[in-house]
Amino acid sequence: MHDEDGLSWGRRYLMCPPSHFGVLYEINPWMDATTVVDADSARQQWEHLASTLRVAGAEVVLMEPADGLPDLVFTANAGLVNGNQFIPSRFRHPERQGETDVDVQWFSEQGFTVEWLPDGVSNEGAGDALPFGDVLVSGYHFRSDAASHAYVSRLTGAAVRSVELIDPRLYHLDLTFCPLDSRRAMVAPLGWDRYGLAVLENLVPEPLFLEDEEALEFCGNSVVVGSVVVMPACPPRVGRQLERWGFDVVVCPVDQFLKAGGGCRCLTLALDVHLGLPSAESTVT
Amino acid sequence: MKATETVEMQGHIVDSLTLAKVLDIVVGAGAEYTLDEVELGRTSSDPSRGRRSITADDDVALATLLDQIHLHGANRVSAGDAVLAVSEKDGVLPAGFYSTTNLPTSVRLAGRWRPVERPEMDCAVVVDDSGTARTVPMHRVRSGDRVVTGSDGIRVEMPVRAARGHAFEFMTSEVSSEKPQALLVAEVCRRAAENREAGGRLLAVCGPAVVHTGAGPDLARLVRNGWVDVLFAGNGFATHDIESNVMGTSLGVSLGEGTAAEGGHANHLRVINEVRRHGSIAGAVRAGFLGGGVLYECVRRDVPFVLAGSIRDDGPLPDVVTDVVAAADAMRDQLEGVGVALMLASTLHGIATGNLLPAGVQTFCVDINQAVAIKLSDRGTHQALGIVTDVGLFLRQMADRLCRDA
Repeated sequence: MHDEDGLSWGRRYLMCPPSHFGVLYEINPWMDATTVVDADSARQQWEHLASTLRVAGAEVVLMEPADGLPDLVFTANAGLVNGNQFIPSRFRHPERQGETDVDVQWFSEQGFTVEWLPDGVSNEGAGDALPFGDVLVSGYHFRSDAASHAYVSRLTGAAVRSVELIDPRLYHLDLTFCPLDSRRAMVAPLGWDRYGLAVLENLVPEPLFLEDEEALEFCGNSVVVGSVVVMPACPPRVGRQLERWGFDVVVCPVDQFLKAGGGCRCLTLALDVHLGLPSAESTVT
Repeated sequence: MKATETVEMQGHIVDSLTLAKVLDIVVGAGAEYTLDEVELGRTSSDPSRGRRSITADDDVALATLLDQIHLHGANRVSAGDAVLAVSEKDGVLPAGFYSTTNLPTSVRLAGRWRPVERPEMDCAVVVDDSGTARTVPMHRVRSGDRVVTGSDGIRVEMPVRAARGHAFEFMTSEVSSEKPQALLVAEVCRRAAENREAGGRLLAVCGPAVVHTGAGPDLARLVRNGWVDVLFAGNGFATHDIESNVMGTSLGVSLGEGTAAEGGHANHLRVINEVRRHGSIAGAVRAGFLGGGVLYECVRRDVPFVLAGSIRDDGPLPDVVTDVVAAADAMRDQLEGVGVALMLASTLHGIATGNLLPAGVQTFCVDINQAVAIKLSDRGTHQALGIVTDVGLFLRQMADRLCRDA
């Protein structure tokens, strides 16, 4: 049965309507600037995802889209939320750096305290950082610098576990890792090196390892609302395991967004994350 | 030349295994590291911090490796550039100048480590417009020279105590009289041969006792057979070498019979006088006045020699450089490529030479008095290995090993 001790976060999400979404540049292996996005279909898929999250029990709040910022729709990369604190992303690619002003304005208006990572380090927010248990699992390599993790830890008080991402197709942590509850998470070994997998072994008591094809269908890029797992795709093997654990699986096709290398998780940013200081009974190093 | 850089990592680097990963990468690349500072977090929630020095075979290998580990959060600790000050007067260094050691040294200029040319102790480092750094003794600095000051952006490579090989391994002290003589000679010969094979030059620094002990002919054999590439001595050694070959005496004492020759006390003065008549030692050789000995062989083989004068010198011989500063400069100019230095029963010239040698030159101090080797080491020539023995015996065995002719 699904662990009653579910995730302490994931009931409130920020989304951004895809009015200006398109594949206008190529900054990951999925993007092809000659691809045409079906705007109506994208809108429908996005609406479907938002309503599914609401039905599952989450609150969805919106930010205004902005012309010329097609990837603003991927709010997971806006930054890191920790209680009332917002740490804006330092985007690796100039194509996305214009999003920061829009993100910072929204969070300021909502009363968040904005705190900055230093210049010169890249970090792409919740796209590369997901809380699990006492720690913030943080990916580095393609979009975030390993060196940024120490600053994140200093600003938030979170204990970080750094994981190197090794497959450019799985360029963000949230394509390879999806916390399900306090004991379980989906993990794509395709995207992690052996040191990361060794860290995982000590961290996640019951991992659901995704096969390579499952990972490349973006199974890991799912949104968990309590016992509901909202997935871009769900192969039968994964679905059976999740249901065995007591989760309800809802598939929300987002193939228009997959053209830009983003799935369900990428389209959302959890606003109810409290990293805080870790509990005192952590094990000694 | 080996290259070293300091890097720092911080955060949850222990539990994330990123520290272990970086160290694995360093070792896997054939480089070495030392942990300079480590602050481990008390619990797995506390961040840790580690600072270590990484040494690779050369600058290129190091740069590649630093790029690799930078990915995992190991950042170069930015050492500042060396601070330069301009000399305002010939022969006067800016206050706060960096005083050199004889160890391999690099200075950081515009973010890059540059090796300092010709390491020499007790000098300053001057940087020219092309960014080349070299040691310069105080008297040679010129107004307008840019001189390294302070201690930022300067890196000194500590000597690696390389295994000295079997013959020297059992030496717990650097100086000892209790060693099998033949073994030590064999080892010095092996080093001399290796040095020659590698294209290095051999420097002999000679005291008068080389001649008094009857070893002149053996040293002459070594010169004749091409084992000596440059020779430093004083007026005394040169005079006795010439006296013994022209008159058969050393300071008036017959080298053959050990008895004082009649009127022999003036022999050396008469010899000096004749060489002065010929204008130089080479002139005396050309005129047929000098027909054998160490300096004769040097002249015949074009082996450069520097004779440095002192206040006690008789004559002196016309080749003797009586300005000590000019003499030290002349010696400096002959050190290029020297890989082995033999200090043969010479205290003053030995120490003077030691002051000029880079620490990388294999230096053997052969003297019956172990105080000489100790003094050499105390004055900073730490690489000097003392061999306490009779220099005459030593040179004979060495010549017998290395030379075919009798």
